[in-house]
Amino acid sequence: MTPHFTTIDFARHRDLELKIQNKHNFPLSLSMEDENNTFDPDLIHAIFKLVWTRRALERERNDVADALDCEVGAGTSKKNRQTSANGKAIKLSCELLRILITEAVQRAATISEAEGASKIEATHLERILPQLLLDF
Amino acid sequence: MEKAMDVEMEREGGGEEEEEETESVSDVLRDRFRLSTISIAEAEAKRNGMEISEPIVACISDLAFKYAAEQLAKDLELFAQHASRKIVKMEDVVLSAHRNEHLAASLRSLCDDLKAKEPQSERKRKKTPRKENKATTSVVHIPDN
Repeated sequence: MTPHFTTIDFARHRDLELKIQNKHNFPLSLSMEDENNTFDPDLIHAIFKLVWTRRALERERNDVADALDCEVGAGTSKKNRQTSANGKAIKLSCELLRILITEAVQRAATISEAEGASKIEATHLERILPQLLLDF
Repeated sequence: MEKAMDVEMEREGGGEEEEEETESVSDVLRDRFRLSTISIAEAEAKRNGMEISEPIVACISDLAFKYAAEQLAKDLELFAQHASRKIVKMEDVVLSAHRNEHLAASLRSLCDDLKAKEPQSERKRKKTPRKENKATTSVVHIPDN
């Protein structure tokens, strides 16, 4: 299955190929149209909103504990309005997470291949985990 | 005993209820996340001529979900807050990838792509003529999804 590049992507692809060392082989197919296989932006957005809502509520609880009088309702205070995200930022986050998955699989596959196995197993994942976590 | 628990929950302002609800919402999201991960991981394994065992994909999925929910979401919020913003923008995402140079470079170029795709909003394009775009050629034709 050959990746589908536009001419622009190809130029950038070559550029980055030069920069990329063996250890950190990030996927060279950076085109977001590639493989149509990425996270749903709505899903990622929902995850972020869940976390940010929780954090906003916590901030509010702390404020209530500190302040003497509390006139503000949830999410209406200027100070404590919940963080939200720009559409493009979500798209970029989807890519980031997709890269995380592909890196994990790709690095584990390298180890697996070196051992002559045909299936990626726990031991392979184990070996790449520390560096993976340091990289992300 | 249930009545006592109900009373307690009301007193807490439904705090425990909230937590239970967030738990189940979180579970649904985690499951959806896992489905996407499975398809991405299997495609990538195939690309490498390998198969990947199911529990390993589940493991990677949980790891990525945890990363997204604990590290990424938190970092993005902190970076936006640090820039006195309430809205997380692309630059925050690019910043969160600072730990690895290649990753940062990948994201930065994607960021430029997305900016270039901006249709009629000439706001940003006015100040930065195309020549300043380092890694790209002068004519940028990126096919739409």
